[in-house]
Amino acid sequence: MLSKKELERYDRQIMIPGFGAEGQAKLKKARVFIAGAGGLGSPAAIYLAAAGIGTLRIADHDTVELSNLNRQVLHWEKDIGGEKVASAAAKLKKLNPGIRIETIGETITEANATILVGDADLIVDAMDNLPTRYLLNRTAIKKNIPFFHGAVYGFEGRAMTVIPGRSACLTCLYHGASVPKEKFPVIGVTPAVIGCIQATEVIKYITGLGELLTGRLLNYDGLAMKFTEFSVKRDPGCADCGKLREGKKK
Amino acid sequence: MSVDIEFSSIFAKYTNNQTDIKSQGKTVGECLRDLSRQYPEFGQLILDKSGDLSPSFDIFINGESVYPDTMTHAVKDGDKINIVLLIHGG
Repeated sequence: MLSKKELERYDRQIMIPGFGAEGQAKLKKARVFIAGAGGLGSPAAIYLAAAGIGTLRIADHDTVELSNLNRQVLHWEKDIGGEKVASAAAKLKKLNPGIRIETIGETITEANATILVGDADLIVDAMDNLPTRYLLNRTAIKKNIPFFHGAVYGFEGRAMTVIPGRSACLTCLYHGASVPKEKFPVIGVTPAVIGCIQATEVIKYITGLGELLTGRLLNYDGLAMKFTEFSVKRDPGCADCGKLREGKKK
Repeated sequence: MSVDIEFSSIFAKYTNNQTDIKSQGKTVGECLRDLSRQYPEFGQLILDKSGDLSPSFDIFINGESVYPDTMTHAVKDGDKINIVLLIHGG
């Protein structure tokens, strides 16, 4: 249950119609796996921590570099050279000492993905490459937990929420297509927008509020300041989720 | 058939700062090749040497995917084709 301090801390969101102390208790109980503590992972983690998610499990194998600081707002100049997960945990603990932060400084691989995600209720995809995104998509399907996709390039970003067996997955969307991992242009406000959309989706999923971004790819064009939605249907031949029965839910 | 082709602002430098171009053709492929004739630099990005869609791009017609028969998909007057870059940055 919520303490007096928690009731005061989260008062403004508890006031939201349909949210209440019950919604806050659901957030407190939740375990969220954030894959990546970079441009997308930073805003997603900050707002999920501020909202009172009980456990944030953050995975990233990188160390902080000067060129990260235009967008990866969890990391500051004093953190350069240190592990991103340690830097992230230090800031998030200061932001909200009442939540649990677990850090994983390992590379997410085919061999360890299932173990690293562990008993998390969902996966936030804040990665910087497609192969690991596909791997996490498969892991979410295997565990039958939601997958919250986000990606950025320059002033452009996109997001989609995947509920395995009920909505299109990342492989349904991109058909397994791949592009080489390369240095990409980005301005910090773009992952801020997309990371916050991912965090919004996570909060909605956990509390049961609103309509999720499932079966829809939301595209953000910051230069035109325009959001566009594309319909994405499940692919019956999808190599990853095609065999899942419609409506299967944990 | 006359269709509207829309794409992100990041490509506007190839199209005289426009992100909505009129194009002609009976199929998606014909419309994209017409776009490529109008703006060859953009065409080189979205189409490979054999005139097929580059794997770095996806196409939506009136907001819906028509994969896998994307290039041969028939279009009608007024259809909107969105060209979407496959992005993966985080």
